[in-house]
Amino acid sequence: MHHLLATAALLALASNASLAAAPQLTPPQRDATHAMFEHIVDTPTVIGRHNVPAMAQYVADQFKAGGFPAADIHVMPYHTGSATTGDDDTAALIVRWRAAGPTAKKPILLMGHMDVVEAKVEDSTTDPFKMTERDGYYYGRGTIDMKDGVTAITQAMINLRQAGFKPKRDIVVLFTGDEETNGIGARKGATEWLDLLGHPEYGLNADGGGCGLNVDGSLAGCGMQTAEKTFAGYTFTVRNRGGHSSKPRKDNAIYSLAHALDKLEAYRFTPKLNETTRAYFAAKAAMEKGPLGDAERRWLANPNDGNAADFIEASESEVGLTRTRCVPTRLFGGHADNALPQLATAMVNCRIFPGEDPNAVKAELEKLVNDPTVVVTRNDDFVASLASPLRPDVVSAFTRAVQTLHPGMPVFPEMSTGASDARPFRVAGIPVYGTNGAWVQVPTDYRAHGKDERIPIPSLYDNVVHWQLMLRDLAGK
Amino acid sequence: MKRILAAALTAALSTVTVAAVDPRTVPTKLEPAWQAKTRALFKQAIEIPSVHNRGETQKVAKLLADQFRSAGIPDADIHFMPYEALPGDNTEALIVRWRSPRATKKPMLILGHMDVVEAKRGDWKFDPFVFREEGGYFLGRGTFDMKNGDVATTMAAIKLMSEGFRPNRDVIFFYSGDEETRGVGATLGSTKWRNLTDAEFGLNADGGCPSYDEKFQPLGCQISIAEKTFQTYFFTTHNPGGHSSRPRPDNAIYDLADALEKLRTHRFQPMLNPANRGYFEHRAKEEGNSPLGQAMRAWLANPNDGAAADIVEASPIDVGLTRTRCVATMLSGGHADNALPQSATATVNCRIMPGVEPKVVQAELQQLVGAKVEVKPDPNYIGVPTPASPLRSDVQAAVTNAVHAVVDPRMDVFPVMAAGASDGSFFRAQGIPVYDVDGSWGISPLDDRSHGLDERIPVRAMYDDVVYWEMIIKSLAG
Repeated sequence: MHHLLATAALLALASNASLAAAPQLTPPQRDATHAMFEHIVDTPTVIGRHNVPAMAQYVADQFKAGGFPAADIHVMPYHTGSATTGDDDTAALIVRWRAAGPTAKKPILLMGHMDVVEAKVEDSTTDPFKMTERDGYYYGRGTIDMKDGVTAITQAMINLRQAGFKPKRDIVVLFTGDEETNGIGARKGATEWLDLLGHPEYGLNADGGGCGLNVDGSLAGCGMQTAEKTFAGYTFTVRNRGGHSSKPRKDNAIYSLAHALDKLEAYRFTPKLNETTRAYFAAKAAMEKGPLGDAERRWLANPNDGNAADFIEASESEVGLTRTRCVPTRLFGGHADNALPQLATAMVNCRIFPGEDPNAVKAELEKLVNDPTVVVTRNDDFVASLASPLRPDVVSAFTRAVQTLHPGMPVFPEMSTGASDARPFRVAGIPVYGTNGAWVQVPTDYRAHGKDERIPIPSLYDNVVHWQLMLRDLAGK
Repeated sequence: MKRILAAALTAALSTVTVAAVDPRTVPTKLEPAWQAKTRALFKQAIEIPSVHNRGETQKVAKLLADQFRSAGIPDADIHFMPYEALPGDNTEALIVRWRSPRATKKPMLILGHMDVVEAKRGDWKFDPFVFREEGGYFLGRGTFDMKNGDVATTMAAIKLMSEGFRPNRDVIFFYSGDEETRGVGATLGSTKWRNLTDAEFGLNADGGCPSYDEKFQPLGCQISIAEKTFQTYFFTTHNPGGHSSRPRPDNAIYDLADALEKLRTHRFQPMLNPANRGYFEHRAKEEGNSPLGQAMRAWLANPNDGAAADIVEASPIDVGLTRTRCVATMLSGGHADNALPQSATATVNCRIMPGVEPKVVQAELQQLVGAKVEVKPDPNYIGVPTPASPLRSDVQAAVTNAVHAVVDPRMDVFPVMAAGASDGSFFRAQGIPVYDVDGSWGISPLDDRSHGLDERIPVRAMYDDVVYWEMIIKSLAG
């Protein structure tokens, strides 16, 4: 799951992004970045293909070659799998860069994932597992989700070390191997591997954040992800005695289910604001004209103005950001075309506002359906994701880094409607911030999980510089 | 497909509350020697698991053919007809012609099927393909649907042959091999194989005519003279989909749910024909002066009285008999738990009134659900409307006499329209009137186990069915 800035509207500060003054990589650093990126994009780390351990070993070898002691580099093999994703032997990579001297501060965690979503050659213009340079872009699966971030963090640490930078607190890297499927690596990271990670104070996730440039070259803004909705699956199940379809009964499992889904269609959860979305909508309201901007201003002034929130939720750009949303995604029912159904089920996928308990959402679903024959059950045991507080040190480091590379770039916090590895850490009390610095053209380059995924060539190298700036700022003091 | 008259129409009406005799304890009229032969044949037939795709139906055909052959039917009049039913299901029909030495009438056709519905050992109390006799019943898959009818018609014929009976018309036995799935055998039998099957009328042994309620009161004997047309439609909705974290205002599943809500409350126009008219005349007598009985009489008097017909349709006993009915039977939709659905489909199964074209029903459904939903018939099976077969007085008389003599003199005999389809519909569609008149009976709903678990038939019902068919053949071909 990768979240790039999802809005194209934040351009109040439109100024030409002059990169002339921005720091650059040296030619050998560029070559090393290119080689690493190409090697890992060419490694198809899709679930079931058993390639993540090899990639983890390759990245570990880059750290070793860059001067990090072998004792602080750990390839952690583990198993991932579920009924819907299939199985794989995967791996995580943990690297600890120890502070030069004694420190009272806990480590900073740098996060990413090495696995990618499936991509089929026949669905792609170029072989998705052969990095291809073309039209000013690098094409390939994982180029923005998120082998760009893995490359940037790794190369930034190597460059900093070789430049003689000595962190004043530990920096610890966790690259997982199953973020796109089961998230077991992140769960282990937040529990059984927490000692190895040194109980970090907070995390910076390269699988979040990011910047956008509009097609005309103007600045669309950079988002820093501080919250994500909780993913939770539910099943609506209706059972019935069934019988012969020539003699329809008054009650019918499919009709009961359809009726419940009609109620779900009409239902809206209570709108909510938190620190992240309030800051996000404040930034939006400041530049949005017309009825959407009016609604945003009304809602910020009065969080109980449900009509205003409903208007915002109905807009294509803001859908999912004002409240919990649940939507049916799959249907199953019946067993023969000439028999009344004995069973009908719907999968209902919810994205729950941070802090709300998935069990409370289950109770709310039961209440809205209001039919004891429709049984609501949970499909998973995910717990509520929490929003991370806006830390001034992280906000200012991120802002300085992106504005060094893109002078005048607006920055604002954002809540992702998707889920990522950040959740188990946030739940465990470790705040996580999505702070990647790659930039893309919006909306043409929104291709994560999709066809012909790509990254602008300069964006790959800028992102290495971005992470160097962030680490110097946050671990150098 | 097999049916016992739904129970419930009972307690309230049976004014005759004499301490009733359990019909299962009445001695059979079949001689002991023929009981033994019947039982032996029945056991062999039940123990062949002639479920579709198992390639076993041919063994049933050979078993029945062997009986006819040893009774004197020449090989030239015994035809094994292999065919493919569901794709890959190689099955067989059996056609046997018992020639009349001096035929004075067009042939008479006797219909049955040799295949049975799947039965799983784990679901049953005992092995469904091991024949058992227990507590006055024969048990096993096919004991009521309808190896009983195969055995009774075959046994009656060879018994009559052994007694020197000569029919005055050819009697043709047609046993199909896929009635429970797609009815390809009956389709071929009524068309391509017509030179072997052409007849003045047909009697279908798939459909026990008489039945009793649980207090042993006779529920009457229903002769199916018409069948509703079976047609499955698919309701499909499409949508561009997207990521489930960003719900769109339109959604394929919601569009389908809306259509199903409309279908749930939709009612087709009520229709009366000779079959359901005969049935409701009988039912109105049974219901007496109850509100349901009054509604039946009102509707019979005025076929345009829709409100009366709606009351009748709402009765669980009579559901499906006043009009075309369509019901949602299956659902599928979506492709991933975290993606908005790109399509959703409901299977809608319709039972259409005799004579109504499935295209007309399709148009009505399309009008009902609107343009967002695509309504298409199942391309694997396009139903052909069948006319009601006018009830022949000779058939009604023969059945009435046989039922009264063999089963119970108190049984009323009356025409009905079957809500389900069987092999008979294919012959009706091709101009051969067919009547479902098997003489097997059971206690309803106790013994309504066709397609279900622990299927069974009273021992006496099995034996007496042989005597019943002897009488029918003697009466209509003698």
